[in-house]
Amino acid sequence: MSAVVHAHPQSGPVLGVTGKPNRALSDAGLRGRWWRFALILAITAVVLVPIMVTVVLAVTPGPTSTATGFTLENFGSVFSETLASTWLQNSLITTLSTVTVAVAVAAPAGYVLSRGRSKAVSGYSLLLFVMQSLPIITSVVPLFILFAGMGLVDNLMGLTIIYVGSTMTVATWMMAAYFDSIPISLEEASWIDGCSVFGSFTKVVLRNSLPGVLSTAIFAFLLAWNDYLVAIVFLRSTEIFTLPMGVQSFFQQNQTDWTSVMALAVVMMLPPIIVFAALNKYFSVGGIGGSLAGR
Amino acid sequence: MALTTAQTGLSRARRGVAPGGSGKPANRKSKLSSQTRKTFFWLLLPSVVLLVLIHGYPLVYAGVQATHDGSLLDTGEFVGLENFANVLSSEAFWKAARFTLLFTIVGVFGSWLLGLGLALLLRTKIPAGGLFKVLLLLPWVVPVVVSSTAWNWLVGTPDSLIPSIFRNLGLGTPLFLADPTLAAITVMVFKVWISFPFMMMMTSAALASVDTTVYEAASMDGASRWQQFSQLTLPLIARSTYISWILMTIFCVNDFPTIYLLTGGGPVDATTSLVVLAYRTVFQDFQTGPGVAIAFLMTITLVVVSVILYRQIRKSSVE
Repeated sequence: MSAVVHAHPQSGPVLGVTGKPNRALSDAGLRGRWWRFALILAITAVVLVPIMVTVVLAVTPGPTSTATGFTLENFGSVFSETLASTWLQNSLITTLSTVTVAVAVAAPAGYVLSRGRSKAVSGYSLLLFVMQSLPIITSVVPLFILFAGMGLVDNLMGLTIIYVGSTMTVATWMMAAYFDSIPISLEEASWIDGCSVFGSFTKVVLRNSLPGVLSTAIFAFLLAWNDYLVAIVFLRSTEIFTLPMGVQSFFQQNQTDWTSVMALAVVMMLPPIIVFAALNKYFSVGGIGGSLAGR
Repeated sequence: MALTTAQTGLSRARRGVAPGGSGKPANRKSKLSSQTRKTFFWLLLPSVVLLVLIHGYPLVYAGVQATHDGSLLDTGEFVGLENFANVLSSEAFWKAARFTLLFTIVGVFGSWLLGLGLALLLRTKIPAGGLFKVLLLLPWVVPVVVSSTAWNWLVGTPDSLIPSIFRNLGLGTPLFLADPTLAAITVMVFKVWISFPFMMMMTSAALASVDTTVYEAASMDGASRWQQFSQLTLPLIARSTYISWILMTIFCVNDFPTIYLLTGGGPVDATTSLVVLAYRTVFQDFQTGPGVAIAFLMTITLVVVSVILYRQIRKSSVE
C-alpha cells in the first residue's frame, strides 16, 4: 500500500532533465505502473465475479431450452410466464414518484436550512440528522398499523409515501449543502429588483442548482429502486410486487429457475447502471448521499 | 417526544427565520424579513409534515407499542417496561447484539481498508485507471437483491460453483451458508464487497482535495513513504474518514437486506442481527411489543451515538 501513496510527486521522469539516473528512475516507474495495473486488474476481476455470473446465466439456455450457447429467450420467458412486466411497471411508478416528490419537498426545505440563520433552523437540521440515522424497522411497525387503517398497505402509494419520508432527511441535507455553494448576492440582486423571496428561490436559486437536484434525485432513485425491507413488510399480493419482491419470489419455489431469475436480475440492475453511466459525476455525489453529514 | 420537538421547531420557524445579514437599510430589512419568515414557513412546511408523519408519529407510537403486550391488530394492555426486561434478559437478544457489533466492526473497517487501498492505488498513474474506477463502483450500484441472488448461486449449496472448486482442489466442501461460523464470515465478506466502493468514493474525493506540494516538502525533509502516508495523508483526510466511518456504522447497524437475503438470519440464528431479530419477532412470531422494544433499544443507542458524533464533526469543522 505504501508503494502507492507518493507516486505523484516522486516517480516518473523529471521534466526537462535527461540522463542516466533519471532514465533508470523512469524505467522503475514504468515497471511499477504495470505491477499496479496487474494488481488492480486482478482485484477488479475477482470483485466483478458475482455480476458477471448474473449476466452469463441470464443469457445461458435454461434447463428446458433447446438453444445452445448464447440466447435471449430467458428474457422472453420471464416476461411471458411471470408478472415481470407488472413488477417492472410498479417499480418504475414507485421510484419515479418518489424521486419527484422527494426533490419537491427537499429543495424548498434545503433552501431554508441553507439561508436561515436562527436556532430553530439549526435545531431542525440536527433533528433531520438524528432521524436519518434511525433504523427504519422502528417506524415500519407503527406505520404498518397506521397505513392498514387507511388502506395503504399492499398499495403502491403507501410504499411511495414511506420512500419519500425516508429519503427526505438526507435529500434535504444534500440540497442545503448545494445551496450553500450559491452566493446569496444573486438573490439579493433579485430582491432589489422587486422579486419575492419565493420568486427568487425558484427563478434564481433553483435554476442554478441542476447538479444539486440531480445528485439528490439519484440518491432518492437508488433508495426507492433497491428497497427490500419496506416492500417485504407492506406488499402482500404478487400483482403489487416491486422488482425486488419479484426477484425474491423465485426462491419460494423448491427448484429455483436460475436462468429466469438472473434474466430478471439483469433487468433490475440495468436502470441503476444506466443512470450511473450517464450521470457518473452526480452519481458519486448522490451515491455518497450523506457525505454532508458533517455540515 | 419527537412530535413535540417537531412542533416547537415549527413554531420557532414561524417566529423568526431571516436570511443572513446583508447590510441593507433597516426599514427595508424588516419588511423583507417579515415576508421572508412567511415564505420560509411555507417552504419548510411539507418537510415538517412528512417528518412528523413518517418519523415523529411512528417513534411515539413505537414507544406505546413497546410498553404494551399488543399485536399488529390491537394495542393490548399496558405492561410497563416488561417487554424491555424480557428482551434484555433473553439470550437471543444478546446473541444478535454481539453479531450486530461484529458485523458492524468488520463492515466498517473491512470496507474502509479495501476502499482506502484502492483509492490510493487509483490515484497513481495506471493504464485504464478511469475504467477501473468505474468498474469497481459496480457492487455499490447493483441492487442488493440482485447481488445476493448471484452470491446465493455462487455459494448457496454444496454443489454451487465455489464449493465445487474447493472440492476439486481437494479442500473439502465448505458449507458457506449452512455452517454457523462460515455463514457469519460469508455475510460479512458480502457486506464488505457491497460497501467498499462507497469508502473508495469517499476516500478518492478526500484525496483529490489534498495539496500535493506538501509531499514534495515532506520528501525533501527526508520523510519515508510510510511516514508520508501515516503522518500526512491520513491526518489530511481525517475528517472525511470520520464521516465515512459514522455513515458506514449507521448503514451496518440498520442493514436488513444484506443479511436477510443471503442467510435469512440462519443457520441457527448465527447471522441474526438486531434488525433481523426485530423483524422476525414482529412479523413471524407476531410479538409486537418485544419486537418494537428491540428496535427501540437499537434506536436509542443510535440516537445517542449520532448526536455525540454530530457534535464532534461540528467541532472539527469549526476548527
